[in-house]
Amino acid sequence: IYKSLFLLRLFSSFSGESALPSNLRLPPNLIGVPREKRAFPASTDLPVLRRCEADIPAHLAPVQTWLQSLESRHSEPLGVVDLHPDVFSVPVRLDILHAVEVWQRNFKRISYAKVKSRAEVSGGGRKPWKQKGSGRARHGSIRSPIWRGGGVAHGPRGPTSYYYMLPMKVRVQGLKIALTSKLAQDYLHIVDSLEIPTPDPHYLQDLAKHRQWGDSVLIVDVGEEFPQNILQATESLKTINIIPAIGLNVHSMLKHESLVLTLEAVKFLEKKLLWHDTRFTPLYPFKLPYSDLP
Amino acid sequence: MAAPFRSVFMTLSPGGLIRSGIAAPAGSVANARACLRSEHSSTGGRGVDESVDEYKYVERLVPPSRIPSPPKHEGSAPSGWTPPPETPPSLPYMIRRSRMHNVPVYSDIKHGNQKSTLVRKVEGDVWALNKDVKEFLQQLTGRETATQVNEVTGTVRIKGHFEKELKAWLIQRGF
Repeated sequence: IYKSLFLLRLFSSFSGESALPSNLRLPPNLIGVPREKRAFPASTDLPVLRRCEADIPAHLAPVQTWLQSLESRHSEPLGVVDLHPDVFSVPVRLDILHAVEVWQRNFKRISYAKVKSRAEVSGGGRKPWKQKGSGRARHGSIRSPIWRGGGVAHGPRGPTSYYYMLPMKVRVQGLKIALTSKLAQDYLHIVDSLEIPTPDPHYLQDLAKHRQWGDSVLIVDVGEEFPQNILQATESLKTINIIPAIGLNVHSMLKHESLVLTLEAVKFLEKKLLWHDTRFTPLYPFKLPYSDLP
Repeated sequence: MAAPFRSVFMTLSPGGLIRSGIAAPAGSVANARACLRSEHSSTGGRGVDESVDEYKYVERLVPPSRIPSPPKHEGSAPSGWTPPPETPPSLPYMIRRSRMHNVPVYSDIKHGNQKSTLVRKVEGDVWALNKDVKEFLQQLTGRETATQVNEVTGTVRIKGHFEKELKAWLIQRGF
C-alpha cells in the first residue's frame, strides 16, 4: 500500500524518475504516509460486549474501542468494548511521562566507577626532593594529581546510587497517560484471549503486519498461566513480547510500538489504577494488610 | 494479604498459652518433663482446641483503604459541607471534587506576603472558567484581579485570598 502511495508521490513531483528499488523497506510509522485507519466504532449502533465495572463520573462517557481476536489472520473484530475514561482518556501530560521514564531508567542504576585519589595511590608519602636549592619545581609527593601516575583529583568515588522514588500517584498517572496515548494513537488493541492456532512465530508476525500493528508488539495478560502456543511463538521473536499485567510499565509501553491487552488485563488495570483516585493516604505501608486493597 | 497475617496468628494460638499455664502449677520434675515433652509433640496431643473464629476481632480492627462516599444530605450538612449535585452543570468546563469530596480551591502564601488562591482539577475549557472567575471577582471587589491559567495542569491561580468566596460561588454554580 505504502509503496504504491510513495510511487504516486514520486511520479507526481518528478516526471521521468525511475521506480523505487525493490529492496526498499518502508517503516510502518513513516511520517507523511498515514496508516489505514479502520473507522472507529460509532457509539449507538453496536452492542457493547464489556462495560466498565467501576463508576464513571457523570460528566464523562466511556471510551470505546474494537474487540479483536487472535484466532485467524483475517478475523473481523468481534465487537465494541467500553474503557474507563479515568484510565484511558486522561489529559496527556508529557512532562509526567518523561519524568516516569527517566525515573525508571535511573532509580535502579548503581555506577561502580571508582578511581584512586592521591591518598589511595601507593607511595607518595615522602617529599621527593628538598624545597629549596635543587632547581626543580617544588613538590610534596610523587602521587599528587599533577604527576604522571598520581591520583585523580575529582574522579568518581566509589559506588554511587542514583536511587530516588517519584510519588506513587505520579507513577500511577504516568501509566494512565501511557495507556491513553496508546489508545489515542491507535496503537492499543483489545483481544478476548491469547489463544492462537499454531505455535509458529511467523503467524504472529504475519498477523501483526496484516493488521498494521507496527514494528513491535507488547502482549499483556493477567495471571501466571499463558497458553503454550503463544509462549512458544513469542519466545524466539525479539520484537513481539508477552508480559503479565503486574509487569506493565511506561518504559516497555514506549519501547514497543503497539500494545495488546486481554479483557482480563483491562479489568485488572482499571481496578488497580482507579483505586489510587479514591484511597486514603497510607497509615502504614500498603504492603501490610488493609481490609479492602484491590 | 490476609493469609500471612492469619498464619502468624495461628502460631500464637491459644494452645501455646494453655500449655504454658498448665506447666507452671505442675510441681514434680517428672510432670514438668512430661509437659516439656508434650510441647515438642504435635499440637493435638493434650486435647487442645484450635479455633480461628476469634480472628474476627482482629479483622474488624484492620482499617479500610478506600475513602467512603458521604451519606446523603438534603442541601448542606450541619458542618457547612454541600454534596455535589447528581447532574453536572451545563458549562464548558467541569471542576471535580477532591478525593475527600471537597471543592478544590486552596489558598497559598509565598515569602510571607504573596497571597494567591488556586483552583485545581479543572477539565474542559479553562479559559472560560478564567473569564467567569474574573467577572465574579470584579463584581466582588470592584477591580480587576490578576489570574494565571495553566492549561496543561488545568489550574487557575488568582492573586489574593478568595478561598471562601470562590468555594461558595462554585457550589452555587453547581460543582
